[in-house]
Amino acid sequence: MELLYLDLIEKAVWAGIAALGFGILFNIPKKVILTVFILGFFAGIVKFVFLSIDFNVVTSTFLASLFVGITSIPFAHKVNKPIVVFSIPAIIPMIPGYYAYKTILGIRKFTFVKMDDKGHEQLLNSIFSNGFMVLFILFAITVGVSAPMLLLGKDMARKLKD
Amino acid sequence: MIDMSKEKNIRNSIDLLLDVCSLMMTSGANTKRIIDSVNRFAQVLNLKSHALISHKSIIMTLIDLETNESYTVVTQIPRHGVNYSIVSDVSRASWVAVNHQWSFEKLYNRIQEIKSQKRYPVWLELITVSLAGAGFARIFGGDYLNMLVAFIATFIGFSVSKTAHHYKANTYVRVYLASMAASLVASLGILYGIGQHPDIALATAILFLVPGVQLINSFNDLYNNHILNGIVRFVSGFIIVLAISLGMLTIMLIFKLNVLG
Repeated sequence: MELLYLDLIEKAVWAGIAALGFGILFNIPKKVILTVFILGFFAGIVKFVFLSIDFNVVTSTFLASLFVGITSIPFAHKVNKPIVVFSIPAIIPMIPGYYAYKTILGIRKFTFVKMDDKGHEQLLNSIFSNGFMVLFILFAITVGVSAPMLLLGKDMARKLKD
Repeated sequence: MIDMSKEKNIRNSIDLLLDVCSLMMTSGANTKRIIDSVNRFAQVLNLKSHALISHKSIIMTLIDLETNESYTVVTQIPRHGVNYSIVSDVSRASWVAVNHQWSFEKLYNRIQEIKSQKRYPVWLELITVSLAGAGFARIFGGDYLNMLVAFIATFIGFSVSKTAHHYKANTYVRVYLASMAASLVASLGILYGIGQHPDIALATAILFLVPGVQLINSFNDLYNNHILNGIVRFVSGFIIVLAISLGMLTIMLIFKLNVLG
């Protein structure tokens, strides 16, 4: 059990590092580098914890992005920077790269390898399940991270003005 | 001699506001944020701005609220490259300018200052992005050897991307070449069986090319009813994803990799 927690925390640390790498790539201000790491780390924790208690990948990703969307609002207030500066690098590690890769592999095999109908059926199955997974995870990320901003949009603007 | 470009008149103002627009558009701000910021800047200068912002060009009309004089200019937007420091600083400047009623000259100087800021050094970008690639490999369940392969593959892919950018290659060609280079290194890992899940390194080595900002801005624009801009961003992001997968497919066909099942 302890080993499982360690594994979870280590993965979350790497999620934080990935968030930070993308932050540097997007040239975020120096002041927010640590914040981006922390947000990426906790987003990872939220996602992996929900995954470990048998939540669906799409749901856990949505909850983790929602978490990032909500927690970046107070951070943004504190240092007077737009929310996107923290939130987008922090959610980048959740991009469904592996599912996208499997989708492409399936398409490649479907097009270039000769096989019988049963093989084709299996491949179609894998292309569609992985492809829709990619689509829904992307959707979960974007909705989750921008919902708090959209809902609080007007209030935020008024508060920043004061 | 007085610098003519710092004098406040409607011609110089529209040049400044167009500069702000194109700066934010190339740096990866969503359309709503650009329009809000430009409106605030116009308010400070006692002008009213109306802008049509698209991916490659901007049309803007400025109306002087005192004299009712108006001016319309169409301008082209240069190449895009995400830079959140610029987005953050311009947004912030627009709020401060409203609160402190900045003069035209002060506004002009601040924008020039923001434009001349340096990015992070290339070596730092290279190392952190490669570490991010290694991190992805860990997240998707790879072991340390897979992470090493992902690190090297990302490093080489990113160098290729930077070099192509330096030679002003077409964006999609640049992504294709970078994806090919990264997959080439990662497939060596598969050929020689490095680590337990060498295919994870192949899947994660190209993730640094994924147009995350583009796709998220696309959804943001769609939600804010800038539908046309949202569609444009989505299509351009989609072509980038296609270029990534094409680069990977090319390498797989060359090496006759058969990693699925």
